[in-house]
Amino acid sequence: MGNIKKLNFIVIDDSKLDCFIAEKVITNTGKCDDVVSFVSAEQALESIISTEQAPHLHTIILVDIQMPVMNGFQFIEAFEKLGTDVIRNYTIFVISSSINENDLKRVDNYTSVKQFLNKPLNSNVLGALLSQY
Amino acid sequence: MNNKNKIKVLYIDDEQNNLVGFKATFRFDYNILIAIDTDQAYNHLKAHPDISVILCDQRMPEITGSIFFEEMKDRYPDPVRMLITGYSDIESVIDAVNKGHIYRYIKKPWTDADIRSAIEEGNKYYISTSMLAVKNKELQAAYDELGKFTYSVTHDLRGPLLSVIGAIDLAKNMDDLTEIRSLLNMMDDAVKKLDEFIRNTHEYYNLKRGKLIFEKIDFNKLMADAASIFNIAGRMDNVHFISKVDQDEDFYSDENSIKIILNNLFSNAFKFQKKNGSEKFVSTNINISNGNAEIIVKDNGIGIDESHINKIFTMFYRATSDEPGSGFGLYNVKDAITRLGGTIKVESALNEGTTFIVSLPSKETEP
Repeated sequence: MGNIKKLNFIVIDDSKLDCFIAEKVITNTGKCDDVVSFVSAEQALESIISTEQAPHLHTIILVDIQMPVMNGFQFIEAFEKLGTDVIRNYTIFVISSSINENDLKRVDNYTSVKQFLNKPLNSNVLGALLSQY
Repeated sequence: MNNKNKIKVLYIDDEQNNLVGFKATFRFDYNILIAIDTDQAYNHLKAHPDISVILCDQRMPEITGSIFFEEMKDRYPDPVRMLITGYSDIESVIDAVNKGHIYRYIKKPWTDADIRSAIEEGNKYYISTSMLAVKNKELQAAYDELGKFTYSVTHDLRGPLLSVIGAIDLAKNMDDLTEIRSLLNMMDDAVKKLDEFIRNTHEYYNLKRGKLIFEKIDFNKLMADAASIFNIAGRMDNVHFISKVDQDEDFYSDENSIKIILNNLFSNAFKFQKKNGSEKFVSTNINISNGNAEIIVKDNGIGIDESHINKIFTMFYRATSDEPGSGFGLYNVKDAITRLGGTIKVESALNEGTTFIVSLPSKETEP
């Protein structure tokens, strides 16, 4: 805290509109250095694997649950296998329209997930979240 | 009466003469299987899962009838069990009845009428309980499907709605008209997706619960209707819609189902085109001959990856996130085709295109 550190963001959502909304809301917080959206979790994972993270930089991942091919849970499971050197540079937030209790409970089981957020993302919620960084 | 429609009865007795006599007496009215010991009885039960009534003598050298029933009923619960016994065994009969091992007993010496009425009654009981089991199974399947359905429906209905709410929230603080317009376009897509989903749900319901009406199908007219819709969509995205119909004979089927099949195949073919492809096309070839309609819908779009091709007809399955979809369309297509007694095949190569081959029989009689 103290000095304003900028954050990187990755948005993973199969809805292009939701990606757009997230990008806008994130940019509007003024705490964002860079935001990238992926409509496919597989592509997001590939990008995370191939990107060399600068040591002082932290990246926030916002990931949807229900997506075709690789869903949010599968993404998180694959992500958690990447090793602590990679994992510690990221914080995951799950963002979903789901009101299914099993989905909500399941999110709690993943240590890499910080919190479950309800859609739609808005600047109040995100602002409150980012105040800790 | 055809042997197939006769009630299937298994009779077990350790005396060969009784077996032969029993079979001779009842074989015209029932499909009689006989067994001289429980080994033979088990063989019959294994080979004939449709046995509805079992009659077994109580006094046999290796095992009593009531103990045999007690042993076999967990493995073969469906057939109705009846014990044939003399008065001196009445204690064991009472025990067997109370434990639920037998449906009724027949007193020795029996008359033909005793046996007949026992078989008829037993068969009625068998039919009603086995129907109940089938209905229960159907109900359980419908219930499971409803659970899955509600989960996905919640997501697919709420998803676009929440997107639009989020977009409206954003737009409130936007001043740039160009930006607002592009947001409006995206909202438009989200709302259309919602509408498509609701229409698909309606189709799904119609297919599941609706009655098929078999009437003359004019494929030329169906294709002309489809062309008027898809030509416009095609012009916007530069996709040629080519169709050829070869129908010289009458064809009967359910028009609504066929429309659902065609519409879904076409909208998929248009949706899954390559973004920057050249000479994009959707071609349809319909050929009616010998009471069979073959419908081939071919495109040169993005194709389907081999690892997904077996799952594309599964409800809510989506093989790509490149285009919005409900995961409902091909499920409905397959469901409609199955109900019409037809088949569907798919051939596809990634980046080359997809071909669906539908074959439907003409249905001249009522379903």
